[in-house]
Amino acid sequence: MPELDRRDFLKLVGVGAGAAATACADPVEKLVPYVIQPEGVTPGIASYYASTCTECPAGCGIVVKTREGRPIKLEGNPENPINRGSLCTRGQVTLGRTYHPDRIEGPLSLGGDGTQSPITWEEGMSRLTSSLQKASGRAYVLGGPVGPSLSGVIDGMADAAGAKRVVYEPFSYDALRSGTEAVFGVRSLPIFDPEKADLIVDMGSDFLATGMSPCENSRQYADARDIQKHPEGGTRMISISPRLDGTTQSSDEWIAAGPGSQGAIAFALARAVYDKKGVPEGIDTSVVEAFLSGPTLEEAAAQANVEPERLKAIADALLAAKNPLVMPPGVAGTDSSAVSTVAVVMLINAMTGAIGQSVQVPAPSDQGAPASFAELEAMVSEMKAGRVDVLLVHDSNPVYSMPDSLGFNEALARVGTVVSFATLKDETSKSAQLVLPSNANMETWGDAAPRPGVRGLVQPTIRPLLDTQALGDIALDVTRALGGSAPEGSFHKVVEANWSDVNWRDALGNGGVYTDVEIPVPPMALSLNGLGYSAPQMAGDGDYKLIAFPHPYLGDGSGAALPWLQEIPEPVTKLEWNSWVELSFATAEKFGVDFGDVVEIQTPSGSVEASVFPRGGIRDDTIAIPTGQGHTVGFYSSMEGEGERPSWLTVESAVGTPGVARGVNVMSILPATTDERGGRTFLNTRASVKKTGRFRRLALAQWTDNQRKRHLAQSVTVPEANGHGEKDHGGHGGGHHDEPPHTFTASFDADPKSPYRWGMAIDNDKCDGCSACVAACYIENNIPVVGEGQAIQHREMSWIRIERYIGEGHVGGGEERRPIPRLEELGKLDVRYIAMPCQQCGAAPCESVCPTLATYHNKEGLNGMIYNRCAGTRYCANNCSYKVRRFNYFDYGNENFPGMLGLMLNPDVTVRQQGVMEKCSFCVQRIQAARQPAKDEGRDIMDGEVQTACQQACPTNSISFGNLRDDGSKVVKEADQPNRSYHLLQELNLRSSITYLAKVNREDQEGSA
Amino acid sequence: MTSDRNTSEHTSQNRFFIGFGALKSAPLLLLTAFFALVMTSVSWAADEIVEIEEAPEPTGDLLIATSVCEAHELRAAQEEDPSLRIEIPREFAGKWPSRSACVSAELAWDVEAPGPIQPIPFSHKHHSGEFGIECQYCHSNTGDSPAAGVPSVELCMGCHAQFPKEYDEIEGIRILKEHWENKEPIEWVQIHRLPEHVQFRHNRHIAANVPCQRCHGEVQEMDKLYLVPETEWKYGVPANKLEMGWCINCHNDNNHQADVDCVTCHY
Repeated sequence: MPELDRRDFLKLVGVGAGAAATACADPVEKLVPYVIQPEGVTPGIASYYASTCTECPAGCGIVVKTREGRPIKLEGNPENPINRGSLCTRGQVTLGRTYHPDRIEGPLSLGGDGTQSPITWEEGMSRLTSSLQKASGRAYVLGGPVGPSLSGVIDGMADAAGAKRVVYEPFSYDALRSGTEAVFGVRSLPIFDPEKADLIVDMGSDFLATGMSPCENSRQYADARDIQKHPEGGTRMISISPRLDGTTQSSDEWIAAGPGSQGAIAFALARAVYDKKGVPEGIDTSVVEAFLSGPTLEEAAAQANVEPERLKAIADALLAAKNPLVMPPGVAGTDSSAVSTVAVVMLINAMTGAIGQSVQVPAPSDQGAPASFAELEAMVSEMKAGRVDVLLVHDSNPVYSMPDSLGFNEALARVGTVVSFATLKDETSKSAQLVLPSNANMETWGDAAPRPGVRGLVQPTIRPLLDTQALGDIALDVTRALGGSAPEGSFHKVVEANWSDVNWRDALGNGGVYTDVEIPVPPMALSLNGLGYSAPQMAGDGDYKLIAFPHPYLGDGSGAALPWLQEIPEPVTKLEWNSWVELSFATAEKFGVDFGDVVEIQTPSGSVEASVFPRGGIRDDTIAIPTGQGHTVGFYSSMEGEGERPSWLTVESAVGTPGVARGVNVMSILPATTDERGGRTFLNTRASVKKTGRFRRLALAQWTDNQRKRHLAQSVTVPEANGHGEKDHGGHGGGHHDEPPHTFTASFDADPKSPYRWGMAIDNDKCDGCSACVAACYIENNIPVVGEGQAIQHREMSWIRIERYIGEGHVGGGEERRPIPRLEELGKLDVRYIAMPCQQCGAAPCESVCPTLATYHNKEGLNGMIYNRCAGTRYCANNCSYKVRRFNYFDYGNENFPGMLGLMLNPDVTVRQQGVMEKCSFCVQRIQAARQPAKDEGRDIMDGEVQTACQQACPTNSISFGNLRDDGSKVVKEADQPNRSYHLLQELNLRSSITYLAKVNREDQEGSA
Repeated sequence: MTSDRNTSEHTSQNRFFIGFGALKSAPLLLLTAFFALVMTSVSWAADEIVEIEEAPEPTGDLLIATSVCEAHELRAAQEEDPSLRIEIPREFAGKWPSRSACVSAELAWDVEAPGPIQPIPFSHKHHSGEFGIECQYCHSNTGDSPAAGVPSVELCMGCHAQFPKEYDEIEGIRILKEHWENKEPIEWVQIHRLPEHVQFRHNRHIAANVPCQRCHGEVQEMDKLYLVPETEWKYGVPANKLEMGWCINCHNDNNHQADVDCVTCHY
């Protein structure tokens, strides 16, 4: 027998293995074609439909990308003047509501045993109409703000039933409406345009992160500060806020005034402006003077616990600026005198001439203003008195979002029939006698009228997936059954009829109608009765003032259902998936607690327990808890989903028990107090802190804000940005950074014959950390959400992350290396954000260590990652200097797209398996898609034809992407700012293809505008 | 009236048959099937005798047709062996369904032939080979889209709704019409399958004039579709059809005519 050498043996084994593999039957896959192929639908080719985002009332336009009839991605609609093509984090993931595991599958009825069981629509509708008939007017319709057409048919239903309609929005900007009304006589929300201002005094509005139109305001603010357009640095912002929030950290000066002192400061500033400028002609000065008889600058400074000189400087800057803008306090700052504060802020804006410039006061919108808190209280007392037989609830979750002290839950128990029209199950639908689920956002017709000149259309892009109906159709049917007058046809026809004044087809194609409308400057019609300076009332006698601040993603709690919003780190704290209590370092030390220690927060209205997050960016007399968590119902919003997942993916505590809350609902411990005009307040109580001795780990994405002088997030002064003075590359002190970095040309790192070297430019000066890019990347690239348990172990799969650093940092050892953010300091800024996707290095360290050549450099300079070659050694991730590689420790792809969520996967991107490494691909699927028409036409891909998902989403246009070998491309032009450009860790000579543009530090030039 | 039509159909039917002489008689048919099996060189060759229907035995008994398709077979058998006694009742003496339709439907559901049994005995040979319908007439997205696409039921009915009612004798036609009436899609079993980590673009290959047969085999000669095994040996390494090596070999042909960058197909 001939000798079998090793080589031959291996060959034979290989053949044997191959034969065995082919003998194994592949699973039978079915090809299921259309019965009737819809016109204009080509399998394999995406179709796009213009629509309007309904996640918040801002009214951003969206383009829905559908594949084979399934919406798979939302992008901003460039036609819409509000968002102009960008889309925020919440808007990106609102698509998930359509495919959500919490969706109610059909009508439900509550039985005697307390469980809800399915019924038919006929039965449900007849029960609804008969109960409304029997109630004979003792009924309420309670719901969130909806578009004008839907609002109209709901009004019709309420009229037919004799019911009262209450529009309910937890964050309703009551005080802003009332304050604007007090000054201008128009009860509407002002429209702010930071771009038109040269100085912004932010009274804690947080307009960039949680304001009324974050997408729009972020873009305007970034444009106003674009260093290329404004070499002197553009608009400056002074922020007055008790805690370093999403907007404060983007400002140039931070006055860490105590919570509730914004009113005093605003009155003092107004007095200073009035003394110099006076009020416009025709205004009764005695009324104004009486109104402004508040604290002096010194008194306000004492109350706010800041130096008087700083307030004086603000007053001087306000007077010196050409177009100053004062932003009124946001939701977190609405206290018992919030209306007066807004009124005085609007008065300053009127005196400085901002009205008509950077502030527009439009006529009230058709969308229906939310009811004030006083009206809600009246409704609740009616309910408590047993005078309400039927309560219809749509688009809101009052059981969750009403303060416990209002007694909504007890009142609800006294209502005969509660009918919920929820799409996703929630606390309210859970206890409803009748659940008639309405269609999800991608299945409904609708419209929006966010402001004069902007009318948005909402069009469905998928048929209802479950046995649900459009709320508009339900309302029309009920109206007809009750004998009321309802327009002909379905709700679709009603919307179309309401739009009959414009070309319907054009409106559908553009997502709405956008016209340039001059909003007239309203005359000042002062009605300041009962308003004036008063110190805000705080309930209780705890040692700390409690700030309940809106979570930028979870908002009033409606975002908690969406797993991406839970997992994308909150921009300021970088915390995920749970509630936390922000304590200052001194406070934490005082109670002997540290990161993750559970404390009890007690107010006169109740108490909650949550883990501590100590930070420097909050006052010692203040504690803060984000809103939005604490749901007891929902796959992601409560702990329910944890039980349905394999044990190795979950968190240890409270696993899987339905009804166990995720985090705490801070709104439940706020007293039900109101402002001067009956609006809801959020800054209204003091709280005491008690250590519990327990520990619950929080998922924290970034454990330090100290960049240890590694120059990851660099900063230049305004003169340096303009080429005066030496740019600080090497750093002061600090070991190996002293050598000048290697210079290189990123465009060389591709095949000499290739027409392309793909590259990116990221402007850190524009980035405000909002993480819309992260959300877009999740959706575009089928990135799984790993859940809290895995996130605690830092196994988030996001391909792009936003890192947050304070200043240059320091190289410390020992105690300094504590893994808690340590560099935030009260009143100090220099917060630097840096977006971190794969750098697509020209000399990539990951490539050289891969034993299977799964990651390699391609001819166009891309660092390819081939999943099917990957054997999971993780050498590449270990060798990556930027830590952008993510490993599938488990089969996240299978486990974490439960139910219908798999339908929103992008078919152009492979879903990765367990044991496979993945990372940012520069959206190579989009490059390949753009290559097709280019090849057909025999040309190269043109600039702008490829937009990465992150670039498309970015509200501030921080990200440019394109071909570095095309001198005319936007990315080359953008990167060509030698005074600001740098590459990350350039001294390692990895030849990164991403050029970062350093943040511009405008602090020193404050007031020079 | 009816009898007139019947006689005229007889003649035209005979002319029609000349078109595919190889299939004129049952023995030849068996031989073809046998050859096809040998060519595939797969293991089930041991069972090569394929029985197509109850072929008429050359006995002295009177053979009575019970369907149009059977009548076609009996006539063909008689042509081979004129001594055969056959009787074709008037209701089965019609021309439709055509003999080729009968035969191909039969063969497309041949359990012994390679390939999976489809919900409808659809014969690519009948449609593409015999009638010469272009591949892209039905797989119409192939030139524009990464996905070739399977024709909608509507497209099938576009032709079949115009066919004589007699075609309903074939079960496949009845199933098709049922799907159309119930508006239910047909769940075809996929044969040419690439793994999900492969992003294949049909339109690029059509634009590069790659014949369909290069990957799908001589579809126009297959009644029952199956993945024709094919192994190329290059550098002493076997590359089976639709495996990556097989793709790469073609991409590298003609002085690297096509890109072999990994991210061309994997992302």
